[in-house]
Amino acid sequence: MELQASYIQIVALALFTIGLAVTLTRRNVFFVLMGIELALNAVNLSLIGFAKTLPAAASVAGQILPLFTIAVAAAEACVGLAMIILIFKSQESVDIDNYSNMKG
Amino acid sequence: MLALIYFIILGVIAVGSALCVLLSRHPLYGALSLVVSMVSLAGIYGLLGSPFVGVVQIMVYAGAIMMLLTFVIMVLNGARDSKTPMFDKVSLFVFPAILLLAALLGFALISTPLAFNAETLRGSVALTSETLFNTNNKGPGYFLLFEVIGLLLLSAMIAAVLLAKKNLGSKETEEITEVH
Repeated sequence: MELQASYIQIVALALFTIGLAVTLTRRNVFFVLMGIELALNAVNLSLIGFAKTLPAAASVAGQILPLFTIAVAAAEACVGLAMIILIFKSQESVDIDNYSNMKG
Repeated sequence: MLALIYFIILGVIAVGSALCVLLSRHPLYGALSLVVSMVSLAGIYGLLGSPFVGVVQIMVYAGAIMMLLTFVIMVLNGARDSKTPMFDKVSLFVFPAILLLAALLGFALISTPLAFNAETLRGSVALTSETLFNTNNKGPGYFLLFEVIGLLLLSAMIAAVLLAKKNLGSKETEEITEVH
């Protein structure tokens, strides 16, 4: 038994599924953000796992793309948390069902 | 063989702590188990032969982003409403849909032939920096993306400061500035 390339993809799929479930079903707004982060992590793992199945020159691209994903995730978390602080000041609640000012 | 054992240990830790995020009640416990999940993912990156991404994962994700998240959770005291239920009633329908999606994707993954390539380069610091900052005309041009990421982070930081600040130019802020 050796480490197979598809095992990595299966772990990434499990993490992505859990992240999606956290995002869509939890009511606390912090858990929604954490679910998004988890799904982004799963995509990074999938990118690295696929990069290892490519030949030499092409495999470097798959190892550089996660760096950009991490930077974009940092920007997203920064702005998202600022928005949470702003909404929490006006609503006094972390329940995402109360955030219905826009009647969505 | 040894790689498989390490991968199973790290993968079980990563998926298990992700499940802890799904099932924990207090957001602080969820954030801490998310940190554990990210650190074990960094271990998997190192195992697969891209140590630089693993170090960046620990420094930026487990260090900076999760520090910010736990800080905001502690400042806002998110445990205040522990009366609201953890899950919606809608999640009765959402969970089967997500499981169906996972089953479909898993079937597609298992039926796809995937194999490691022996010629894959190890993503060390030297190779990553060479490729990332290759300003050659015929190079991949990642350095332009790098500059754009810098601008993006700067604008995100300014946006966050402006959003979280009290209303600019309002009477309250003027009083505060007068007092000091």
